[in-house]
Amino acid sequence: MLQIRKLHAKVEDKEILKGINLQVNSGEVHAIMGPNGSGKSTLAGVLAGRDAYEVTQGEILYNGMDLNELDPEERAHEGLFLAFQYPVEIPGVSNSYFLRAAVNAIRKHKGQEELDAIQFMKFIREKIKLLDLDPELLQRSVNEGFSGGEKKRNEIFQMAVLEPKLCILDETDSGLDIDALKIVASGVNALRSPDRAIIVVTHYQRLLEYIVPDFVHVLMDGRIVKSGGKNLALELEQKGYSELEGQLAKA
Amino acid sequence: MATTLDRTTDFAAHLRELGLADDPSRRRALDRFLELGIPTSKNEEWKYTPMRDWAAVSFEPATEANVLVEDLPDLPAVAQLDTHRLIFVNGDFCEPLSDFRGLSRWADLMETPELIAEAETTQNPFVALNQAFSRAWTLRVKSGAIVDKPILLLNLSIASDRPIAAHPRFAVKAEDNSKAKIIEAYYGLRGTVFTNAFCSVKVASRASIEHIRIQEEGDTSFHISTTKVNQQAESTYISNNVSFGALLGRNDIDVWIGGEHAETALNGAYMAFEDQLIDNHTRIDHAKPNCHSFEVYKGILGDRGTGVFNGKIYVHLDAQKTDAKQSNKALLLSKTATMNSKPQLEIFADDVKCTHGATVGQIEEDQLFYLRSRGLKVDEARSLLVYAFVSEVLDKIGVREVRDLLEARLFERVMAVYRQEPKAP
Repeated sequence: MLQIRKLHAKVEDKEILKGINLQVNSGEVHAIMGPNGSGKSTLAGVLAGRDAYEVTQGEILYNGMDLNELDPEERAHEGLFLAFQYPVEIPGVSNSYFLRAAVNAIRKHKGQEELDAIQFMKFIREKIKLLDLDPELLQRSVNEGFSGGEKKRNEIFQMAVLEPKLCILDETDSGLDIDALKIVASGVNALRSPDRAIIVVTHYQRLLEYIVPDFVHVLMDGRIVKSGGKNLALELEQKGYSELEGQLAKA
Repeated sequence: MATTLDRTTDFAAHLRELGLADDPSRRRALDRFLELGIPTSKNEEWKYTPMRDWAAVSFEPATEANVLVEDLPDLPAVAQLDTHRLIFVNGDFCEPLSDFRGLSRWADLMETPELIAEAETTQNPFVALNQAFSRAWTLRVKSGAIVDKPILLLNLSIASDRPIAAHPRFAVKAEDNSKAKIIEAYYGLRGTVFTNAFCSVKVASRASIEHIRIQEEGDTSFHISTTKVNQQAESTYISNNVSFGALLGRNDIDVWIGGEHAETALNGAYMAFEDQLIDNHTRIDHAKPNCHSFEVYKGILGDRGTGVFNGKIYVHLDAQKTDAKQSNKALLLSKTATMNSKPQLEIFADDVKCTHGATVGQIEEDQLFYLRSRGLKVDEARSLLVYAFVSEVLDKIGVREVRDLLEARLFERVMAVYRQEPKAP
């Protein structure tokens, strides 16, 4: 589904990604772990098409398409979804209007009929239960006045509604207490399927107890320095990033 | 300037033509106008609002003979709403188009020529000019009346190939314990019109007025309006002031809070595209203690559009425990759009809460990216953000049908902006 080859990217003349190689297939869950400043969020941003990041070398193929050629909205139409580390507040735009516009943009792209307000409410009723969200939040402005946990649940709720093929979760666990974490994780697990891939970007192993990955990659200074199975996350938790850094320096 | 002189003598000639020159109070008003002259940029109150283009037009006086009812184009949608409908064409009452059956239980409309005699020593040349020409209408809301539906003062301006000047004059008198929603609307149907409106509002003790003002004049027209409000104890005055039209639109709203425990809200929304200029000057005088005022103005400026906001709040020595909040924000959609913003707080009492904030900015890139990352096309996302920015103010309008109508109009205008633009590279 996703092939990243020798990817280099910079932000304001500073090179952050220095040659990333990664292959993600349908049905797989990959975790990308790394210390602060290693380039995790940059990678997520590059995949979603954030303007501030410039790809300088390498390529990203997504279902055979050159991802770099697509606008952020085209990526969304093709089934790519980024759950934001810091979901954006948009005063004056109601959550339900926004989400329906998003659903219809994608349906239109697929040649499906757009949903009217009533069809849309039916469509999302089940999904809102899944994330244990207060339906009243739908009438409020997007993320405005939401608690930290509500914002993150709202991201996963949007993901559940938009049914993407490739989900990228950027530090979805940050700022969540254990109950909120479990709800978010069960929401994500409900979306696991053979024709969908998930990339979980996280600093800590904690989230991976609930969303168990098939592969774990360690990102340091803009490169993937180690890849392994789910046990690699545990190993990192015990030893810390600095010990791994030391080992790599010796090798 | 020669053109300036020509224009003022034009108006003196109009007064003679209309047979009004023998009326001493009208002559005094005209003299006051001539004395004050047409404001130039040297006048601090008119610094950012040049009257050059206005001064270059030769206006004819609007008379009833200008328009036949059967010749009127379709009326604006606001005329179809369920209201007590009072229609004025070029400043004159048009009974055949009006429908105010049932209004007399709560309110009455009277022509009140004596208002002209009240010609004050105004500093505003356009108020003086209005008093020289206007026919004054007083809407009295009876003591204790809670008017069942909004009262619509719909002003239609219509000119043929020659520009005309109209001077609507209203006085709203809300008696004790009364409650009404008044929609004062100005729609340009055809041609270039100079509308010079003056409206005074008296809100007696425990009375409540929501004053919705809609300005949708034609795109070559000039709209100048002055609203003077006087509030008594425990009264409420809510102004929702929407300017979407005219080449040049200037609104002055002055509120005198002359009684304790009164509430005042001034909300404003405006758009200026192409070469439009919209200027809002507001002034709130807190003359008595324990009163609250809230003010929020928001505008969208595109193309070469210009916005002006000047918000004065005077808290008099007596006015302890005043709570006054003011905010004005503008969104610039192009590099050639301009905003001139000046909050002005003058506080003479020592136990008060006063805040103000002003921002001028562009669409937030983070918000734009968020919407796009969920599949909204860039133009759709931009439109939605611009729309949301102003609809926050329109949401405060207390007549749902009017709010819906204005939000739809806003949406239409905003969508059109991005449809015309070439796709961003």
